[in-house]
Amino acid sequence: MTDVSISRPVPQDLLVVLRHPPHGTHWLREGLDVALVAAAFGQRVGLLFQGDGIYALLKGQQAGALGQKGTHSQLAMLEMYDIETLWVSARGLNERGLSTDDLMLPVVPLEASAVTELLQRHPHTLIF
Amino acid sequence: MATMTARTLMVDGHPVALDPEGYLVSLDDWSERVAEALAADEGRELTPDHWEVIWVLRDFYRRFETAPAMRPLVKAVKQALGEEKGNSIHLMRLFPDSPAKVGARLAGLPKPTNCL
Amino acid sequence: MMLHLLNRSPRSTATYQDLSEAFGSGDHLLLIEDACYAAQVSASAVLEPFGGRVSVLQEDLVSRGLAARIDPSVGVIDMNGFLALTETHERCVSWF
Repeated sequence: MTDVSISRPVPQDLLVVLRHPPHGTHWLREGLDVALVAAAFGQRVGLLFQGDGIYALLKGQQAGALGQKGTHSQLAMLEMYDIETLWVSARGLNERGLSTDDLMLPVVPLEASAVTELLQRHPHTLIF
Repeated sequence: MATMTARTLMVDGHPVALDPEGYLVSLDDWSERVAEALAADEGRELTPDHWEVIWVLRDFYRRFETAPAMRPLVKAVKQALGEEKGNSIHLMRLFPDSPAKVGARLAGLPKPTNCL
Repeated sequence: MMLHLLNRSPRSTATYQDLSEAFGSGDHLLLIEDACYAAQVSASAVLEPFGGRVSVLQEDLVSRGLAARIDPSVGVIDMNGFLALTETHERCVSWF
């Protein structure tokens, strides 16, 4: 089981919700690019990983077939852009049989009610 | 994605292809001699202060497969070389105009994408 | 108060699930494009998490031949109604 945070999440300037897994489509990369651009311009950015977007955080990822770049190096780079506020849907984690130990970055798991609150409290939200 | 060769720079008798913005068409072409030639071509001279930032840039690309925008470049330089050098004033002095873009060009990286 | 736009058919259960997690008590859901299929009487269970605060875009359901199949609990709105919703809600997000 995963510990669920009891402290209230601190809203950032922009919330980017990532719902798509790596490799299959460009959605994850697009979402991460938006987050990186916003951070490069000094915006405080938070990321919420929901649904299959949680797989973006799975340890042990590599480049795809034909040497296609993965998104794991983009994730590793988040820290360099001062994007260190990462939330993950606790339900999404449990449904996928994952715990925070399976993930490559430190994240704060959120119950469904906290996910709702997260969107309510952010001035800007983009969903990918 | 094929990059168009806009012109060729001769380095020690070997042609090095550059794209329309002066970045290497093939990143494998990079060497210290190529960096010096690129700098000379832009009217810049590389000092040890430049070189240590170039190595930070190349290390960043090796780790993250992306050339850094200004903000992460400052952070990477700070981590590698300390507070005194990890600031935008120092980097602007070394690479006037746009440290992230000029630095990436001289370090043989692609153009930074998260940097307008 | 947020307006959520959804354009996926009810077969895209993951999208409905992620949206339901984010849906607040003062929020409203507007079904557009392929999400119109969720407004049918036969599919209404997928809309349960949204507490009746659901509308469907008329032109998209008409073009899909669904006009006579819509669950009465789902409000049918036209483009002006869509515009009105964007005016009465602070923010708008899209789910796809």
